[in-house]
Amino acid sequence: MHVLTEYPILTILIFLPLAGCLLLLPVWNCRVSARPIALGVALLELALSVWLYVSRQDLPGVQTKLPGYLLSQDAPWIPSFGIRYTLGLDGISLLMVMLTAFTFCMALLVSWNSIKEKTGLFLTLMLTMEAGIMGVFLALDLALFYLFWEVMLIPMFFMIGIWGHGRKIYSTIKFFLFTMFGSLLMLLAIIFLHLLHAQQTGLATFGLHDLLKTQLPADTQLWLFAAFFLAFAIKFPLFPLHTWLPDAHTDAPTAGSVVLAGLLLKTGSYGLIRFGYPLFPQAAQALTPLFYTLALISIIYASLVAFAQEDMKRLIAYSSIGHMGYVAIGIAAWQPVALSGSILQMASHGVTTGALFCLVGMLDERAHTREIAAFGGLWGNIPKYSFFFLLFSLASLGLPGLNNFVGEFLVLTGTMKKSPLVAALAFVGIVLTLIYTVRLVQEVLFQKERQPLPLADLSLREICILAAFAAVAVWMGIHPAPLLDLVHAPVQLLTGGGL
Amino acid sequence: MTQADIYALTPLILLAGGSVLVLLAGAVKPGRYLYGLSGGLIVAALLYSLLIQRGAVMPGLAVTPFTRFFALFLNSAGLVALLLAAGYNRRRGIIGEEYPATLLFALAGMWTACAATDLLMLFLGLEAFTFGFYILVAIKRESVKGGEAGLKYLLNGTLSAAILAMGMALLYAATGTLKLSGLAVAANHPEPLFLVGGCLALLGLAFKLSLVPAHLWTADVYQGAPAPVTALLSTASKGASLAALLLLLPLFGTWHGLHDLLWILALLSMLAGNFAALLQGNIKRMLAWSSVGQMGYVALALVATQSGGVRAAVYYMVVYSAAGLASFGALSVLSDKYELDTLDHYRGLGYRCPLAGATLAVAMFSLAGIPPAAGFIGKFGVFTAALRGGETALALAGILTALVAVFFYLRVVVMLYMKPAQDVAEVRSIDYYEILALSLPTAATVMLGVYPQPLLDLLTIILNR
Repeated sequence: MHVLTEYPILTILIFLPLAGCLLLLPVWNCRVSARPIALGVALLELALSVWLYVSRQDLPGVQTKLPGYLLSQDAPWIPSFGIRYTLGLDGISLLMVMLTAFTFCMALLVSWNSIKEKTGLFLTLMLTMEAGIMGVFLALDLALFYLFWEVMLIPMFFMIGIWGHGRKIYSTIKFFLFTMFGSLLMLLAIIFLHLLHAQQTGLATFGLHDLLKTQLPADTQLWLFAAFFLAFAIKFPLFPLHTWLPDAHTDAPTAGSVVLAGLLLKTGSYGLIRFGYPLFPQAAQALTPLFYTLALISIIYASLVAFAQEDMKRLIAYSSIGHMGYVAIGIAAWQPVALSGSILQMASHGVTTGALFCLVGMLDERAHTREIAAFGGLWGNIPKYSFFFLLFSLASLGLPGLNNFVGEFLVLTGTMKKSPLVAALAFVGIVLTLIYTVRLVQEVLFQKERQPLPLADLSLREICILAAFAAVAVWMGIHPAPLLDLVHAPVQLLTGGGL
Repeated sequence: MTQADIYALTPLILLAGGSVLVLLAGAVKPGRYLYGLSGGLIVAALLYSLLIQRGAVMPGLAVTPFTRFFALFLNSAGLVALLLAAGYNRRRGIIGEEYPATLLFALAGMWTACAATDLLMLFLGLEAFTFGFYILVAIKRESVKGGEAGLKYLLNGTLSAAILAMGMALLYAATGTLKLSGLAVAANHPEPLFLVGGCLALLGLAFKLSLVPAHLWTADVYQGAPAPVTALLSTASKGASLAALLLLLPLFGTWHGLHDLLWILALLSMLAGNFAALLQGNIKRMLAWSSVGQMGYVALALVATQSGGVRAAVYYMVVYSAAGLASFGALSVLSDKYELDTLDHYRGLGYRCPLAGATLAVAMFSLAGIPPAAGFIGKFGVFTAALRGGETALALAGILTALVAVFFYLRVVVMLYMKPAQDVAEVRSIDYYEILALSLPTAATVMLGVYPQPLLDLLTIILNR
């Protein structure tokens, strides 16, 4: 018996940040002591998730009930509605949990000095959001999943609205309404599925592994899948549902952008992998051409628009849409190699884009502008900053040896087997990514200085953040095998290959 | 009547007798202790409803688990409203014993309505508490708006009472009995006269629940009445009317017309309430229209009576009432010499007055149906019942109007936390009983959202469905 299995470790993962919020209450107005507490909780989460990863081989697994899962937990929650508190951890969840814990540490560090007012509220919201996102990645009961899915929205709504800049209220309401629109329809679909299952088997449940056995007529399946797909595609975001993202990203505080790009977008793709495809396989199959098309348009359109951006944060926001397009293609192919690639790309994109948003945030703090046209010649001016900027830009465009390459390569390889045309078109997107990234790097780092800006180079705290990001990016790029092993078993199960 | 029967009627005696007692005591020695006395009486009635087991039998009244549950629910709402009024009335110069006495009387009326077993008692109870509200709405005599609201409520109220009475008369004419059980038997072979009577009674109750098209009084009355009165009017009065409606539902038997009627009421209320609320700049009017929409969801649950809709409707009503008490409670606590009317007044208040701000925000999230607030579980139950009953189209309409509602509820939260405050005048400190009055519904909202099972179990028992 491993020590981890003796404690409800998954529940701890979700509720530890909430307990951290209680710790923050006594020091609500004391910025100096509140920040270390929040960071401590986030680091503890990270330590827990890494511990889970390291000892994953020793975990006995819960093969009998949930094949492929390492840990699970199950308790009744609202028996009248058939809602259970079911959590489960498999390789995919574990990767996402690690990404979540890591991203929150980084987000807290990057906002260390920049959040000057209402720090107690800010940190509480961050920790609440961490709990919500952990819940999304661990829930195996659809109603519970929906609950966490909504819970993580509220802190982000406040975060953009209170600490954002520009048209923050417009952006945050747009973000909230877009997401709610999709999720409310998904809620109806979830209830509908639950009722169908109850009709067929007499068992009132929202548990994923029971609902998987529901017999669905083709047209019902199509409608239900459409509702799920809409909710997840908005989060993804796929063209033409992406319009909330550039606004939300641009107006969010840096920590908000990091979490938004690094994690909230992933909940969409995760939901599709965990719930959408397995629950409605035929409908998903039927809608694959549509999914491919939207993903391709996302990639190409977002890359073209990114090229035209003047605001660096907006540029990176559009590049996010493009990168998530690859994740979408990998899911649409629903083939082991491509799906592994997608999942890896989800983590990679979180790291790279998170780092880029941090970099832009740091520049914004110094120069108080994010206009590309304001900068130039940073390479000679602030070399440490420029080094990291170049590194993550290269990672973002998929340089071999860095993290994004692995995911994109696997996605394209896998898709090539299924639909060569899509893979070929997606490859065009990579070239477009190259163009706008090179433009960004050239204009900001290497061009002649356009105006004298008194910029200080990175502080120790900032170097630590970026070095952590860089270490993960390089490790994932050079030695992705352990992560691929991690997701291998669940991906095989999902794509029907068996173990 | 045996001694045990009288024991069982104690809550009613406490409330109705207490009302008279407070009036008399006020005549002898006026003072603020009357609020304390009334509060004590309500708590006593509440505890008594909790403790008595036996069903009391007196012609027209029976204490059932149903009655006890509603007594508990309505008296709690009354207690919160009284706590709110204590501070509010002092600040606004509403003095005298008539306020607490009338409130007790209204609660006694509500209790009667929930315990009725025949049409006469039902009518008596409903009109008794409505009568109380006629006075409470216009209690601030020098307020023009209050007077206007009082008159509007009086005219609409008498109209609805007339319709209700007409409906009951027709029911009596068709069957020759006033007993609800007797009428339910007759419902198996309904005559047209009987059905017309039933429909008129339904319309009369639709007035009290402010379901479209009988909602027109709502916005003006909510706006004009003092905030603590609105708090009670929008929650307990609706709760008692729902109880009355549930008592009348068996009269329709399996007649399919009821389904169609409720279907239309639900659709119109959800649409009109939520869209009209979008346009309001006055927060009380906004909440009034939104309550029309919220009642639409209750009606949506009732459309699916056959598939667990009644439990969903009552649960929704409880959750809505908690949020309604919290939001109007925050309004009354925040109002000092004048009420904060427009949304703009709420800029930055979340920081200047944290408790009231947080209460209002939690209430908004609950009304919008966003978890973990209880409103989500309420909506979940309503939509589950509706879909189980096969009302997919209506459920879709409901979910889309709920999305519209999210927007205007969020606007309040945006004002509270995301807009800079306009004036930096110190907000007065809040009294301890106001803290209690705000915490009770907020705690209920959070509790019912996170751990709804006990209440759901209880409802299953008392509704026998």
